Amino acid sequence: METRRGPARPVEDGEVITEENVYERPDRPMAFFPGQVVADLTVSAVLLGVVVALSYLVPAPLTEPADLSTTSYVPRPEWFFFFYDQMLMFFPGSLLIPVGGVVIPLLFFLLLLAVPWLDREPGHSLSRRPFAAVVAFLIVLAVVLNMLLTLVRILNFPQS
Amino acid sequence: MSSNRTRAARLGRSALDWLEERTSIVSMAEHFLYEPVPSRGRWLYTLGSATLFLITLQFLTGILLLFYYVPTTDHAWDSIYYMMSQVYFGKLIRGIHFWSANALIVVIGLHMMRTFLSGAYKRPREMNWVVGVFLIFIVTFLAFTGYGLRWDQEGFWAWEVGVMIASYTPLIGDWVVTFLLGGDTIGPASLSRLFAIHVWLLPALLAPLIGVHLFLLRKHGEFGSEFEYSERLARLRERRRLEGYAEEEEQ
Ligand code: HEM
Repeated sequence: METRRGPARPVEDGEVITEENVYERPDRPMAFFPGQVVADLTVSAVLLGVVVALSYLVPAPLTEPADLSTTSYVPRPEWFFFFYDQMLMFFPGSLLIPVGGVVIPLLFFLLLLAVPWLDREPGHSLSRRPFAAVVAFLIVLAVVLNMLLTLVRILNFPQS
Repeated sequence: MSSNRTRAARLGRSALDWLEERTSIVSMAEHFLYEPVPSRGRWLYTLGSATLFLITLQFLTGILLLFYYVPTTDHAWDSIYYMMSQVYFGKLIRGIHFWSANALIVVIGLHMMRTFLSGAYKRPREMNWVVGVFLIFIVTFLAFTGYGLRWDQEGFWAWEVGVMIASYTPLIGDWVVTFLLGGDTIGPASLSRLFAIHVWLLPALLAPLIGVHLFLLRKHGEFGSEFEYSERLARLRERRRLEGYAEEEEQ
Protein backbone atom coordinates (compact mmCIF):
# COMPACT_ATOMS: atom_id res chain seq x y z
CA MET A 1 0.00 0.00 0.00
CA GLU A 2 2.96 2.35 0.51
CA THR A 3 3.77 2.50 -3.18
CA ARG A 4 0.26 3.65 -4.04
CA ARG A 5 0.07 6.53 -6.48
CA GLY A 6 -2.88 8.81 -6.90
CA PRO A 7 -4.37 11.59 -4.85
CA ALA A 8 -3.41 9.95 -1.54
CA ARG A 9 0.11 11.39 -1.89
CA PRO A 10 0.79 13.91 0.85
CA VAL A 11 0.92 17.60 -0.04
CA GLU A 12 4.43 18.82 -0.80
CA ASP A 13 4.65 22.55 -1.07
CA GLY A 14 7.85 22.99 -3.02
CA GLU A 15 6.85 20.15 -5.37
CA VAL A 16 8.13 20.46 -8.92
CA ILE A 17 5.16 19.81 -11.17
CA THR A 18 5.85 17.78 -14.29
CA GLU A 19 3.66 16.25 -17.00
CA GLU A 20 3.90 12.97 -15.11
CA ASN A 21 2.78 14.11 -11.68
CA VAL A 22 0.43 16.99 -12.48
CA TYR A 23 -2.68 14.79 -12.08
CA GLU A 24 -1.38 12.95 -9.05
CA ARG A 25 -3.50 14.94 -6.66
CA PRO A 26 -6.11 17.67 -7.10
CA ASP A 27 -5.60 21.32 -6.11
CA ARG A 28 -8.05 21.07 -3.23
CA PRO A 29 -8.31 17.50 -1.99
CA MET A 30 -10.97 16.71 0.60
CA ALA A 31 -11.46 13.62 2.70
CA PHE A 32 -13.96 11.18 1.19
CA PHE A 33 -15.84 11.39 4.48
CA PRO A 34 -17.85 13.49 5.10
CA GLY A 35 -17.78 15.68 1.97
CA GLN A 36 -18.34 13.08 -0.74
CA VAL A 37 -20.31 10.71 1.47
CA VAL A 38 -22.91 13.40 2.22
CA ALA A 39 -23.29 14.22 -1.49
CA ASP A 40 -23.57 10.51 -2.39
CA LEU A 41 -26.14 9.83 0.33
CA THR A 42 -28.18 12.86 -0.71
CA VAL A 43 -28.44 11.68 -4.29
CA SER A 44 -29.25 8.11 -3.24
CA ALA A 45 -31.93 9.33 -0.81
CA VAL A 46 -33.57 11.46 -3.52
CA LEU A 47 -33.52 8.52 -5.93
CA LEU A 48 -35.04 6.23 -3.30
CA GLY A 49 -37.79 8.77 -2.64
CA VAL A 50 -38.58 9.10 -6.34
CA VAL A 51 -38.61 5.35 -6.90
CA VAL A 52 -40.86 4.68 -3.89
CA ALA A 53 -43.26 7.47 -4.87
CA LEU A 54 -43.45 6.21 -8.44
CA SER A 55 -44.21 2.64 -7.33
CA TYR A 56 -47.47 3.87 -5.83
CA LEU A 57 -48.28 6.72 -8.23
CA VAL A 58 -47.52 4.76 -11.41
CA PRO A 59 -47.61 1.05 -10.51
CA ALA A 60 -45.29 -1.20 -12.50
CA PRO A 61 -47.21 -2.26 -15.61
CA LEU A 62 -48.61 -5.72 -16.27
CA THR A 63 -50.55 -6.28 -19.50
CA GLU A 64 -52.70 -9.29 -20.42
CA PRO A 65 -51.17 -12.74 -19.84
CA ALA A 66 -48.92 -13.82 -22.70
CA ASP A 67 -50.94 -15.55 -25.40
CA LEU A 68 -48.67 -17.50 -27.70
CA SER A 69 -51.45 -18.08 -30.23
CA THR A 70 -51.86 -14.37 -31.06
CA THR A 71 -50.01 -13.50 -34.21
CA SER A 72 -50.91 -9.85 -34.57
CA TYR A 73 -49.46 -8.44 -31.38
CA VAL A 74 -47.02 -5.60 -32.08
CA PRO A 75 -44.76 -5.38 -29.04
CA ARG A 76 -43.36 -2.07 -27.94
CA PRO A 77 -39.78 -2.05 -26.81
CA GLU A 78 -38.93 -0.32 -23.54
CA TRP A 79 -37.82 3.26 -23.97
CA PHE A 80 -34.13 2.43 -23.62
CA PHE A 81 -34.41 0.08 -26.60
CA PHE A 82 -36.07 2.72 -28.79
CA PHE A 83 -32.74 3.53 -30.36
CA TYR A 84 -32.07 -0.11 -31.09
CA ASP A 85 -35.57 -0.58 -32.48
CA GLN A 86 -35.05 2.26 -34.91
CA MET A 87 -31.88 0.62 -36.20
CA LEU A 88 -34.00 -2.32 -37.30
CA MET A 89 -36.23 0.04 -39.24
CA PHE A 90 -33.20 1.34 -41.12
CA PHE A 91 -32.10 -2.20 -41.95
CA PRO A 92 -35.29 -4.10 -42.81
CA GLY A 93 -35.54 -7.53 -44.36
CA SER A 94 -33.86 -10.77 -43.40
CA LEU A 95 -30.62 -9.86 -45.16
CA LEU A 96 -30.17 -6.60 -43.30
CA ILE A 97 -31.46 -7.57 -39.83
CA PRO A 98 -28.09 -9.09 -38.92
CA VAL A 99 -26.46 -5.80 -39.91
CA GLY A 100 -28.74 -3.47 -37.94
CA GLY A 101 -29.51 -5.89 -35.11
CA VAL A 102 -26.20 -7.56 -34.44
CA VAL A 103 -23.21 -6.37 -36.47
CA ILE A 104 -23.53 -2.62 -35.99
CA PRO A 105 -24.32 -2.85 -32.24
CA LEU A 106 -21.36 -5.21 -31.84
CA LEU A 107 -19.07 -2.82 -33.70
CA PHE A 108 -20.36 0.02 -31.52
CA PHE A 109 -19.58 -2.06 -28.43
CA LEU A 110 -16.03 -2.70 -29.66
CA LEU A 111 -15.65 0.98 -30.50
CA LEU A 112 -16.71 1.90 -26.97
CA LEU A 113 -14.17 -0.52 -25.53
CA ALA A 114 -11.45 1.11 -27.60
CA VAL A 115 -12.31 4.71 -26.62
CA PRO A 116 -9.29 5.18 -24.30
CA TRP A 117 -6.96 4.23 -27.16
CA LEU A 118 -8.85 6.02 -29.92
CA ASP A 119 -8.77 9.35 -28.11
CA ARG A 120 -5.17 10.48 -28.66
CA GLU A 121 -5.77 14.11 -27.79
CA PRO A 122 -3.52 14.92 -24.81
CA GLY A 123 -5.86 17.05 -22.69
CA HIS A 124 -8.70 15.97 -20.44
CA SER A 125 -11.11 18.92 -20.65
CA LEU A 126 -13.48 19.08 -23.59
CA SER A 127 -12.00 22.30 -24.92
CA ARG A 128 -8.67 20.49 -25.32
CA ARG A 129 -10.35 17.48 -26.96
CA PRO A 130 -12.38 18.99 -29.80
CA PHE A 131 -12.55 15.75 -31.77
CA ALA A 132 -13.89 13.69 -28.84
CA ALA A 133 -16.35 16.48 -28.06
CA VAL A 134 -17.73 16.56 -31.60
CA VAL A 135 -18.00 12.77 -31.86
CA ALA A 136 -19.77 12.56 -28.48
CA PHE A 137 -22.18 15.29 -29.49
CA LEU A 138 -23.01 13.57 -32.79
CA ILE A 139 -23.59 10.22 -31.08
CA VAL A 140 -25.89 11.70 -28.46
CA LEU A 141 -27.74 13.61 -31.18
CA ALA A 142 -28.17 10.44 -33.26
CA VAL A 143 -29.44 8.48 -30.25
CA VAL A 144 -31.92 11.17 -29.24
CA LEU A 145 -33.24 11.64 -32.78
CA ASN A 146 -33.67 7.90 -33.23
CA MET A 147 -35.51 7.65 -29.92
CA LEU A 148 -37.88 10.40 -31.06
CA LEU A 149 -38.48 8.61 -34.36
CA THR A 150 -39.38 5.41 -32.51
CA LEU A 151 -41.59 7.31 -30.10
CA VAL A 152 -43.56 8.84 -32.95
CA ARG A 153 -43.89 5.43 -34.60
CA ILE A 154 -45.09 3.79 -31.39
CA LEU A 155 -47.66 6.49 -30.72
CA ASN A 156 -49.18 5.53 -34.07
CA PHE A 157 -49.47 1.83 -33.20
CA PRO A 158 -52.99 0.41 -33.56
CA GLN A 159 -53.31 -0.93 -30.00
CA SER A 160 -52.44 1.61 -27.37
CA MET B 1 -11.74 7.14 40.48
CA SER B 2 -13.02 7.08 36.94
CA SER B 3 -16.53 8.17 36.03
CA ASN B 4 -18.90 5.85 34.22
CA ARG B 5 -18.37 7.76 31.05
CA THR B 6 -14.61 7.34 30.90
CA ARG B 7 -15.01 3.71 31.87
CA ALA B 8 -17.45 3.19 29.00
CA ALA B 9 -15.09 5.00 26.65
CA ARG B 10 -12.22 2.80 27.75
CA LEU B 11 -14.34 -0.31 27.28
CA GLY B 12 -15.33 0.85 23.80
CA ARG B 13 -11.74 1.52 22.92
CA SER B 14 -10.54 -1.85 24.07
CA ALA B 15 -13.37 -3.51 22.14
CA LEU B 16 -12.24 -1.64 19.04
CA ASP B 17 -8.63 -2.58 19.74
CA TRP B 18 -9.71 -6.21 20.08
CA LEU B 19 -11.51 -6.05 16.73
CA GLU B 20 -8.69 -4.13 15.08
CA GLU B 21 -6.10 -6.69 16.16
CA ARG B 22 -8.14 -9.54 14.69
CA THR B 23 -9.72 -7.97 11.61
CA SER B 24 -7.95 -4.60 11.05
CA ILE B 25 -11.45 -3.25 10.50
CA VAL B 26 -10.72 0.08 12.17
CA SER B 27 -7.68 0.98 10.10
CA MET B 28 -9.52 -0.22 7.01
CA ALA B 29 -12.47 2.05 7.76
CA GLU B 30 -10.08 4.96 8.32
CA HIS B 31 -8.31 4.17 5.10
CA PHE B 32 -11.61 4.18 3.20
CA LEU B 33 -13.21 7.16 4.88
CA TYR B 34 -10.28 9.56 4.76
CA GLU B 35 -9.05 8.86 1.25
CA PRO B 36 -8.40 12.28 -0.33
CA VAL B 37 -10.71 12.96 -3.27
CA PRO B 38 -11.23 16.01 -5.52
CA SER B 39 -13.71 18.44 -4.03
CA ARG B 40 -14.89 20.92 -6.65
CA GLY B 41 -17.11 18.67 -8.77
CA ARG B 42 -18.39 16.40 -6.03
CA TRP B 43 -21.97 16.37 -7.34
CA LEU B 44 -20.72 15.15 -10.71
CA TYR B 45 -18.97 12.28 -8.96
CA THR B 46 -22.13 11.07 -7.20
CA LEU B 47 -23.29 9.33 -10.38
CA GLY B 48 -21.10 6.26 -9.83
CA SER B 49 -22.29 5.71 -6.28
CA ALA B 50 -25.89 6.37 -7.38
CA THR B 51 -25.48 3.57 -9.92
CA LEU B 52 -24.14 1.34 -7.18
CA PHE B 53 -27.05 2.28 -4.90
CA LEU B 54 -29.66 1.46 -7.55
CA ILE B 55 -28.00 -1.87 -8.36
CA THR B 56 -28.07 -2.72 -4.66
CA LEU B 57 -31.77 -1.86 -4.63
CA GLN B 58 -32.23 -4.19 -7.62
CA PHE B 59 -30.52 -7.04 -5.80
CA LEU B 60 -32.56 -6.50 -2.62
CA THR B 61 -35.96 -6.13 -4.26
CA GLY B 62 -35.11 -8.87 -6.75
CA ILE B 63 -34.51 -11.32 -3.91
CA LEU B 64 -37.83 -10.31 -2.33
CA LEU B 65 -39.65 -10.78 -5.65
CA LEU B 66 -38.35 -14.36 -5.65
CA PHE B 67 -40.44 -15.05 -2.53
CA TYR B 68 -43.55 -15.03 -4.75
CA TYR B 69 -42.54 -15.18 -8.40
CA VAL B 70 -43.05 -18.60 -10.03
CA PRO B 71 -40.94 -19.09 -13.17
CA THR B 72 -43.32 -21.36 -15.06
CA THR B 73 -45.39 -20.47 -18.10
CA ASP B 74 -48.60 -21.43 -16.25
CA HIS B 75 -47.99 -19.38 -13.14
CA ALA B 76 -45.56 -16.55 -13.85
CA TRP B 77 -48.20 -13.98 -14.78
CA ASP B 78 -50.56 -15.06 -11.97
CA SER B 79 -47.81 -14.84 -9.39
CA ILE B 80 -47.06 -11.26 -10.41
CA TYR B 81 -50.74 -10.37 -10.46
CA TYR B 82 -51.09 -11.84 -6.99
CA MET B 83 -48.12 -9.84 -5.78
CA MET B 84 -49.57 -6.62 -7.13
CA SER B 85 -53.03 -7.15 -5.64
CA GLN B 86 -52.67 -9.26 -2.48
CA VAL B 87 -49.18 -9.28 -1.04
CA TYR B 88 -48.23 -6.75 1.63
CA PHE B 89 -45.88 -4.24 0.03
CA GLY B 90 -45.97 -6.30 -3.15
CA LYS B 91 -46.73 -3.19 -5.18
CA LEU B 92 -43.87 -1.36 -3.49
CA ILE B 93 -41.30 -4.10 -3.98
CA ARG B 94 -42.17 -4.67 -7.61
CA GLY B 95 -42.54 -0.93 -8.15
CA ILE B 96 -39.06 -0.28 -6.80
CA HIS B 97 -37.60 -3.07 -8.93
CA PHE B 98 -39.28 -1.65 -12.03
CA TRP B 99 -38.65 2.06 -11.47
CA SER B 100 -35.17 1.60 -10.11
CA ALA B 101 -34.31 -0.42 -13.23
CA ASN B 102 -35.44 2.51 -15.34
CA ALA B 103 -33.58 5.01 -13.18
CA LEU B 104 -30.51 2.77 -13.31
CA ILE B 105 -30.37 2.99 -17.10
CA VAL B 106 -30.55 6.78 -16.91
CA VAL B 107 -27.98 7.08 -14.13
CA ILE B 108 -25.48 4.61 -15.61
CA GLY B 109 -25.76 6.48 -18.92
CA LEU B 110 -25.10 9.79 -17.18
CA HIS B 111 -22.16 8.26 -15.29
CA MET B 112 -20.69 7.01 -18.53
CA MET B 113 -21.21 10.40 -20.15
CA ARG B 114 -19.62 12.15 -17.16
CA THR B 115 -16.49 10.00 -17.29
CA PHE B 116 -16.32 10.45 -21.06
CA LEU B 117 -16.68 14.23 -20.91
CA SER B 118 -14.07 14.44 -18.13
CA GLY B 119 -11.65 12.30 -20.10
CA ALA B 120 -11.44 10.22 -16.91
CA TYR B 121 -10.67 7.10 -18.97
CA LYS B 122 -7.21 8.35 -19.88
CA ARG B 123 -4.02 6.79 -18.61
CA PRO B 124 -3.88 5.10 -16.11
CA ARG B 125 -7.67 4.56 -15.90
CA GLU B 126 -8.25 2.86 -19.25
CA MET B 127 -9.41 -0.36 -17.59
CA ASN B 128 -11.96 1.47 -15.40
CA TRP B 129 -13.62 2.43 -18.67
CA VAL B 130 -13.30 -1.01 -20.28
CA VAL B 131 -14.86 -2.71 -17.25
CA GLY B 132 -17.55 -0.01 -17.30
CA VAL B 133 -18.49 -0.82 -20.90
CA PHE B 134 -18.99 -4.46 -19.89
CA LEU B 135 -21.08 -3.32 -16.92
CA ILE B 136 -23.47 -1.25 -19.03
CA PHE B 137 -23.69 -4.14 -21.50
CA ILE B 138 -24.73 -6.55 -18.73
CA VAL B 139 -27.18 -4.05 -17.23
CA THR B 140 -28.85 -3.70 -20.65
CA PHE B 141 -29.31 -7.46 -20.91
CA LEU B 142 -30.66 -7.59 -17.37
CA ALA B 143 -33.28 -4.99 -18.26
CA PHE B 144 -34.22 -6.87 -21.38
CA THR B 145 -34.55 -10.30 -19.75
CA GLY B 146 -36.51 -8.82 -16.84
CA TYR B 147 -39.11 -7.47 -19.25
CA GLY B 148 -39.76 -11.00 -20.55
CA LEU B 149 -40.14 -12.56 -17.09
CA ARG B 150 -43.51 -10.85 -16.67
CA TRP B 151 -44.86 -13.26 -19.24
CA ASP B 152 -47.49 -10.74 -20.25
CA GLN B 153 -48.25 -9.81 -23.85
CA GLU B 154 -45.99 -6.78 -23.88
CA GLY B 155 -42.98 -8.41 -22.28
CA PHE B 156 -43.37 -11.77 -23.98
CA TRP B 157 -43.58 -10.43 -27.52
CA ALA B 158 -40.77 -7.95 -26.97
CA TRP B 159 -38.63 -10.84 -25.78
CA GLU B 160 -39.71 -12.88 -28.79
CA VAL B 161 -38.52 -10.08 -31.08
CA GLY B 162 -35.19 -10.10 -29.23
CA VAL B 163 -34.78 -13.84 -29.74
CA MET B 164 -35.71 -13.42 -33.39
CA ILE B 165 -32.99 -10.79 -33.82
CA ALA B 166 -30.49 -13.00 -31.99
CA SER B 167 -31.31 -15.81 -34.42
CA TYR B 168 -29.87 -13.62 -37.18
CA THR B 169 -26.49 -13.45 -35.50
CA PRO B 170 -23.99 -14.40 -38.19
CA LEU B 171 -22.51 -17.91 -37.79
CA ILE B 172 -23.77 -18.68 -34.26
CA GLY B 173 -27.44 -17.64 -34.61
CA ASP B 174 -28.89 -21.14 -34.19
CA TRP B 175 -26.74 -21.85 -31.21
CA VAL B 176 -27.76 -18.58 -29.54
CA VAL B 177 -31.44 -19.40 -30.04
CA THR B 178 -31.07 -22.88 -28.54
CA PHE B 179 -29.22 -21.35 -25.62
CA LEU B 180 -31.97 -18.76 -25.04
CA LEU B 181 -35.00 -21.00 -25.61
CA GLY B 182 -33.81 -24.35 -24.30
CA GLY B 183 -34.91 -25.86 -27.65
CA ASP B 184 -35.79 -24.71 -31.15
CA THR B 185 -39.18 -23.29 -30.20
CA ILE B 186 -40.63 -21.32 -27.33
CA GLY B 187 -41.89 -23.59 -24.58
CA PRO B 188 -41.84 -24.01 -20.80
CA ALA B 189 -38.06 -24.50 -20.91
CA SER B 190 -37.69 -21.03 -22.44
CA LEU B 191 -39.02 -19.28 -19.36
CA SER B 192 -36.69 -21.37 -17.17
CA ARG B 193 -33.78 -20.18 -19.30
CA LEU B 194 -34.92 -16.57 -19.19
CA PHE B 195 -35.27 -16.82 -15.43
CA ALA B 196 -31.89 -18.46 -14.89
CA ILE B 197 -30.21 -15.84 -17.08
CA HIS B 198 -31.88 -12.89 -15.36
CA VAL B 199 -31.59 -14.12 -11.80
CA TRP B 200 -28.29 -16.00 -11.79
CA LEU B 201 -26.14 -15.70 -14.87
CA LEU B 202 -26.14 -11.95 -15.39
CA PRO B 203 -26.04 -10.91 -11.70
CA ALA B 204 -23.21 -13.39 -11.12
CA LEU B 205 -21.28 -11.69 -13.93
CA LEU B 206 -22.23 -8.22 -12.80
CA ALA B 207 -21.28 -8.47 -9.12
CA PRO B 208 -17.60 -9.41 -9.50
CA LEU B 209 -17.15 -6.91 -12.33
CA ILE B 210 -18.48 -4.16 -10.07
CA GLY B 211 -15.88 -5.34 -7.56
CA VAL B 212 -13.14 -4.96 -10.19
CA HIS B 213 -14.47 -1.51 -11.15
CA LEU B 214 -14.35 -0.36 -7.53
CA PHE B 215 -10.93 -1.94 -6.98
CA LEU B 216 -9.54 -0.02 -9.95
CA LEU B 217 -11.19 3.14 -8.68
CA ARG B 218 -9.43 2.71 -5.33
CA LYS B 219 -6.14 1.82 -6.97
CA HIS B 220 -5.91 4.93 -9.14
CA GLY B 221 -8.00 7.26 -7.00
CA GLU B 222 -10.83 9.39 -8.32
CA PHE B 223 -9.59 11.53 -11.23
CA GLY B 224 -12.56 13.85 -11.35
CA SER B 225 -12.18 16.51 -14.03
CA GLU B 226 -9.44 18.73 -15.36
CA PHE B 227 -10.73 21.72 -13.39
CA GLU B 228 -9.68 19.91 -10.21
CA TYR B 229 -6.07 20.44 -11.34
CA SER B 230 -6.19 23.93 -12.86
CA GLU B 231 -3.78 25.45 -10.30
CA ARG B 232 -1.28 22.64 -10.75
CA LEU B 233 -1.62 22.84 -14.52
CA ALA B 234 -1.04 26.60 -14.33
CA ARG B 235 2.10 26.03 -12.25
CA LEU B 236 3.30 23.46 -14.78
CA ARG B 237 2.77 25.91 -17.64
CA GLU B 238 4.47 28.70 -15.72
CA ARG B 239 7.51 26.52 -15.00
CA ARG B 240 7.82 25.55 -18.65
CA ARG B 241 7.51 29.19 -19.72
CA LEU B 242 10.34 30.20 -17.38
CA GLU B 243 12.47 27.29 -18.58
CA GLY B 244 11.82 28.47 -22.14
CA TYR B 245 13.17 31.95 -21.26
CA ALA B 246 16.21 30.45 -19.60
CA GLU B 247 16.99 28.40 -22.67
CA GLU B 248 16.64 31.43 -24.93
CA GLU B 249 19.02 33.43 -22.76
CA GLU B 250 21.60 30.68 -22.85
CA GLN B 251 21.67 30.75 -26.62
C1 HEM C 1 -22.54 -1.17 -12.58
C2 HEM C 1 -22.30 -0.01 -13.02
C3 HEM C 1 -21.28 0.95 -12.46
C4 HEM C 1 -20.97 1.22 -11.16
C5 HEM C 1 -21.59 0.62 -9.90
C6 HEM C 1 -19.92 2.23 -11.17
C7 HEM C 1 -19.38 2.81 -10.03
C8 HEM C 1 -18.42 3.80 -10.06
C9 HEM C 1 -18.05 4.62 -8.95
C10 HEM C 1 -18.65 4.54 -7.53
C11 HEM C 1 -17.09 5.48 -9.38
C12 HEM C 1 -16.41 6.61 -8.57
C13 HEM C 1 -17.30 7.82 -8.50
C14 HEM C 1 -17.51 8.52 -9.83
O1 HEM C 1 -16.53 8.92 -10.48
O2 HEM C 1 -18.68 8.59 -10.24
C15 HEM C 1 -16.81 5.17 -10.76
C16 HEM C 1 -15.84 5.77 -11.54
C17 HEM C 1 -15.63 5.50 -12.89
N1 HEM C 1 -16.46 4.77 -13.71
FE1 HEM C 1 -18.01 3.65 -13.10
N2 HEM C 1 -19.59 2.51 -12.48
C18 HEM C 1 -20.40 1.75 -13.30
C19 HEM C 1 -20.43 1.79 -14.67
C20 HEM C 1 -19.53 2.46 -15.47
C21 HEM C 1 -19.61 2.60 -16.90
C22 HEM C 1 -20.75 2.06 -17.77
C23 HEM C 1 -18.52 3.32 -17.30
C24 HEM C 1 -18.10 3.74 -18.69
C25 HEM C 1 -18.16 3.00 -19.73
C26 HEM C 1 -17.74 3.62 -16.12
C27 HEM C 1 -16.52 4.28 -16.12
C28 HEM C 1 -15.93 4.81 -14.99
C29 HEM C 1 -14.69 5.55 -14.99
C30 HEM C 1 -13.78 5.84 -16.19
C31 HEM C 1 -14.49 5.97 -13.66
C32 HEM C 1 -13.30 6.79 -13.12
C33 HEM C 1 -13.77 8.21 -12.97
C34 HEM C 1 -12.74 9.08 -12.32
O3 HEM C 1 -11.75 8.57 -11.75
O4 HEM C 1 -12.94 10.31 -12.39
N3 HEM C 1 -18.40 3.12 -15.02
N4 HEM C 1 -17.66 4.15 -11.16
